[in-house]
Amino acid sequence: MDYSQEPHGLFFMIDNKSFYASVESVERGLNPLKSVIIVMSEADNTGSGLVLAASPMAKKLFGISNVSRQYEVPHDERILVVPPRMNLYIQKNLAINKIFREYVADTDLFPYSIDESILDMTKSWRLFGRTPEEVARKIQLRIRNELGLYTTVGIGENPVQAKLALDLQAKHDHELIGRLTYETFPEHIWPITNLEKVWSIGHRTAAHLQRLGIHSMGDLAHVNPYELRHEMGMIGAQLFALAWGIDRSHFQQVRPPKEKSWSNSQVLPRDYRVQREIELVLREIVQQTTSRMRHHHQQAGCISLFVGFAWDGKASDGRSGMSHSRCIDPTDNAQTIIREFMTLFRENWEGQPVRNLGVGLSRLSHSGKLQLDLFQDPDRQIKDDRFDRILDELRDKFGKTAVIPASSLMHGGTMLSRASLVGGHNGGNSFD
Amino acid sequence: MGGIVLIDETKEATLILERLKPLFTAQWHYQYRIDVVNNQYSHVFNFFLDIRRPKHRERSIPLHSLRTTDLEVLERVISQVRHGTALTLNFVDFGHVRWPLSQCWIR
Repeated sequence: MDYSQEPHGLFFMIDNKSFYASVESVERGLNPLKSVIIVMSEADNTGSGLVLAASPMAKKLFGISNVSRQYEVPHDERILVVPPRMNLYIQKNLAINKIFREYVADTDLFPYSIDESILDMTKSWRLFGRTPEEVARKIQLRIRNELGLYTTVGIGENPVQAKLALDLQAKHDHELIGRLTYETFPEHIWPITNLEKVWSIGHRTAAHLQRLGIHSMGDLAHVNPYELRHEMGMIGAQLFALAWGIDRSHFQQVRPPKEKSWSNSQVLPRDYRVQREIELVLREIVQQTTSRMRHHHQQAGCISLFVGFAWDGKASDGRSGMSHSRCIDPTDNAQTIIREFMTLFRENWEGQPVRNLGVGLSRLSHSGKLQLDLFQDPDRQIKDDRFDRILDELRDKFGKTAVIPASSLMHGGTMLSRASLVGGHNGGNSFD
Repeated sequence: MGGIVLIDETKEATLILERLKPLFTAQWHYQYRIDVVNNQYSHVFNFFLDIRRPKHRERSIPLHSLRTTDLEVLERVISQVRHGTALTLNFVDFGHVRWPLSQCWIR
């Protein structure tokens, strides 16, 4: 393989070891690598409880993994259970990224998730050390000294190498640093036979590759790329590039998605069987989503509804859920959109118990002015429009729960209890 | 942070006690304890309620963070907290240091 035409940069992919659990350990004066701590969300819709993060020791001693259920965690006095504080983790993430900014220009830092960032060190690494490993060590120590957290660093000549170095090498390395280059890539990556371990290969893709007779990364690197592309489409070409450690992406030129949309979904705290209750939550979600859309001065020309059935709802007709879309006259009026959603729901729902609800608004256009409908009272339409905007203003000024529909107080409403959640989990004590 | 932050000690102590009230349900065979942690990284004193029970997982629930490094402030807050609850206080990461006002060892 001739790599001379490929981009040769230097990328760091840095992640925090068991981020939430580590932050909670440090807050309690415990060493993140030694404490046996699990962060458990007990929000209404997580059932008995969901493990958001487990410290390395909890994983090692008790085999607890993230997204374990409460009942899977042994009742052992050595395990310390703490509630999540999402706002605190966001603060820590910002603090960590602030440190990264001392090592790269703002335009070369790309936060990837709440605990992972990609640093394009190509232009700046020589300022901080003789070797990339030395620079990585320096950053690790800074974060350890200033925030008490341990970080893992994957180093590569392009982002995908850095990501694989992080996932496959750094996490098992004593120094928590891993490095891949075009030269060392075959030696380290090709022997891998558990394909699901490799970033971007999921359970189904791995099964597909197995069916094609591809059982290791080395096999993948030596298939005919044209045949692979023919068999798997675009993904086939991407996988072939992955097997050779090739990544031609330029982060500075990230293209915005062609068609944006607004959506929101939630898992309900229990199975909802009563139509009135389901419609109540649906109304709440639609209201929140339209409000978000209005903030961006947009209106929707298409609505989509997703309804996930409860486990026992699946058995009756085999489907696990339904999703439907419909085009509407472009509008940003909450009442109109709610009405359309209600119609869509009533036309398709056949009484199954519901556990999951999602709505989407797409075909967006700028909502500069109000298009009056010839067949309705114009005064009414103008009034409806102003009504929505005043509600938005009130909520901006005094918080999400400043004005709520009285119906949200009725049995089944989830809006009030969800208002304080961050990403669906407890945000932590306010005033802290 | 920087700058001088005025801390209303009574308000802080009240907040801690208010949050403690619904959590401290005083059940049989439960051990309750308040952990006070000197978090040198964030420059705050953290308060947690720690709940233990034989053959069960230990729980630790955050009560409050006192945004100061001033031991004198902490001492005054602690003395007010002690007025409101008889729970044991456990001091973490304070080292071998005396309280600035009472000159007792911190423990």
